[in-house]
Amino acid sequence: MKYWRQFIEVYVREFKLVFSDQGILLFLLFLPLGYPVIYSLIYNPELVREVRMVVVDHDRSQKSRELVRNLDACQEINVIGYAADMGEGKEAMHSHECFGILEIPEGFGRKIGRGEQAPAVIYSDMSLLLRYRGFLVASTNVMTEMGAEMLDENLNRVVPMGGSLMPGDIMPINNVSMGNISNGFDSFVMPGIVVLILQQSIILAIGMAGGAKRERRRLTGYNAVNMEPSVLMTMLGQAGCYLTLMILPSIWLLHYIPLIFSFPMAGNMLEIFCFILPMVLASIMLGFCIQGFVTERENIFIIWVVTSVIFLFLSGLTWPQYAIHGFWRFLSDMVPATWGVQGFIKMNSNGASLTQVSDAYYWEWGLAAIYTLLAWGIQKWVVRPAERLANPA
Amino acid sequence: MNSHGFREGFRRSALQILRRPIYWVGILLLPLFCTLLLTTEMEDGLPIKVPAGLIDNDGTSLSREVSQSLGSMEMVDITEDCSDFTEARHKMQEGKIFGYFLIPENFESDLLAGRGPAITFYTNMTYFVPGSLLFKAFKTTAVYTKAGVVSMVAADAGVDTANASAMMMPVNIQVRGLGNPGLNYAIYLCNSFVPAVFQLMIFLMTCFSIGETIKHGFSRRLLEICDGSVLKFIGARLLPQTLIWILLIVFMESWLYGWMGYPMHGSWLWMTLNNILLVLSSQAFGLFIVSIFPNLRLSLSLCALTGILSFSIAAFSFPYESMYGGIAVFSWILPIRYNFLIYIDQALNGIDIYYSRWWFVAYFIFILAPLPFLGRLRKALRQQVYVP
Repeated sequence: MKYWRQFIEVYVREFKLVFSDQGILLFLLFLPLGYPVIYSLIYNPELVREVRMVVVDHDRSQKSRELVRNLDACQEINVIGYAADMGEGKEAMHSHECFGILEIPEGFGRKIGRGEQAPAVIYSDMSLLLRYRGFLVASTNVMTEMGAEMLDENLNRVVPMGGSLMPGDIMPINNVSMGNISNGFDSFVMPGIVVLILQQSIILAIGMAGGAKRERRRLTGYNAVNMEPSVLMTMLGQAGCYLTLMILPSIWLLHYIPLIFSFPMAGNMLEIFCFILPMVLASIMLGFCIQGFVTERENIFIIWVVTSVIFLFLSGLTWPQYAIHGFWRFLSDMVPATWGVQGFIKMNSNGASLTQVSDAYYWEWGLAAIYTLLAWGIQKWVVRPAERLANPA
Repeated sequence: MNSHGFREGFRRSALQILRRPIYWVGILLLPLFCTLLLTTEMEDGLPIKVPAGLIDNDGTSLSREVSQSLGSMEMVDITEDCSDFTEARHKMQEGKIFGYFLIPENFESDLLAGRGPAITFYTNMTYFVPGSLLFKAFKTTAVYTKAGVVSMVAADAGVDTANASAMMMPVNIQVRGLGNPGLNYAIYLCNSFVPAVFQLMIFLMTCFSIGETIKHGFSRRLLEICDGSVLKFIGARLLPQTLIWILLIVFMESWLYGWMGYPMHGSWLWMTLNNILLVLSSQAFGLFIVSIFPNLRLSLSLCALTGILSFSIAAFSFPYESMYGGIAVFSWILPIRYNFLIYIDQALNGIDIYYSRWWFVAYFIFILAPLPFLGRLRKALRQQVYVP
């Protein structure tokens, strides 16, 4: 009974503290509520369309014009005009008017007429890979289409009635995008980001609370009376408080944000919340560990904000896990959000069940256990003595 | 001009940087760690050998040929031989493979009989980079298979097969990437993200070092030491950091373009100037924020918000012209946007400095922006009221 009362006391007190602290509220409310909306809006157009390109046509034949027309008709490319020579094309590119130059060599039409392969080159700016990708996809499609159109024509030329050799498409090639079915950028990056935001807002809020504890009460208004109950009960009570506080932000992040912005939602919501629970716990405990290094409220900004970038690249979202090696892989495994991101996108975008992501699920519980032990030590031997020092009875 | 006050203020601020671990962490440790992480994690350039699956429902010599040519591709690693579609889909959901290639039943016989069997491949576009690589490899394999079939059928009919590939692909468009022909992902990413980490940390450290004088109650004293001049105060407070930041960013530059061998097709001089101006304008941006909101936590929150949003809104990955206009316009208020544009012109494409002239001008606007608000900062420094 005694422990139970300690837990309730700490739990209630932590609520009061959080709600009287604007800084912590900002991390717990604005960060998970506002931030994903801004972020999703940035990428919301999803696809890169109409990348500007100029054409340098040395051939000026019917076939070369057909090629340009076909490329322009693709949603990825927008032909803004013809340049007289490569010099003029380059000038357009250097003055940022276009991001690609299509060069059609002389004899292009003639080669097609002779049944030879006719080459053309698109020079693409490489500052952004998505523009290059647009050129690549469009040119592949145009090549295939023009090939199919001309196949009959070509066969008929070499063999009388040759077109009847291969009626229709002899071997259709289909491709299906799974998960993110429209190949959108927002739908690719945001399901990972929302999990990362969840972890970061927990740790930033707890870190700031930790800094406040270690400062003079008079200065920050943070009352560190939490020091009487046992370390474990304090931790559990506070963890209970943050867990309760994160319920609504989690639902917003994992359910409503994908709903509003039409991200893939193939998973079972209940299973997803079961999955994310240990990640939230591990993040809370990691936050208690970080409290050992936060000597002042505001320091959490300096030491933790930039880690979002680090964790994004360790999460395996952009750079896949199988290509992360050695120490970085170890570090990546130790971050709760890595497993949260991996599991969540598999469930949410690819429709995996909880059993299919059991690896990530076990890792999350494992990390929660490791960080609980570590946090207990840090709270007992680092945070408490510092608290007492700052606020002598 | 009496410079004694300035020198005393400078000395105190510099000593503080040396003595306090938080400055070491914020200025040295984190920026260098991020530089190291981003550049070495992606050292391979591309995450090749994408794990993939193959469903061969045909099991003939032709389908084995297809699977062999898939296996010989550098980009793909056929790790799973799946017996059916469901098995392959489950393996993809579990993350063991990033896509699979399906050869249907009776593929060979249908092909020879002209019944047009379809080859289908599935790529998991939830993971954009491996998904795209896999798409390219699968598509190439499928197209080559088709070319082989066409030439086979044509040869049977007595057509000269030397022209089979021309018959299949009468037009061949090559897409050549300028400056980064190998599509190295690290070159694409690190050149924008690493300077953006610097920008974020400069924002934060600038606000922190000015705001904390108010918090710790020595802003009034330091202002007096600096002869009551807010300009001297700022100089004394920020100049020690400016020097360290410039040193670090020149190190970063040599790390990227020297040690890592990222393309540097223009002049080092302009890139160095670009990076030094990034330091100055980021500091000015931080100063601008802390002058308008001389509250340590609020200014840090705003800097954290803009600093982190910079990574997306400065259009490093998703192009500026594809964003909504009302969102994209914010990219112009970030110093890092100009740093990125100058990097593209000067280091990646190596074009004449003339084309980048306006981006350099923008830096100076950033540097001048805080000036009208310094009176406000001076007032706050004298009042010295800390709001948690």
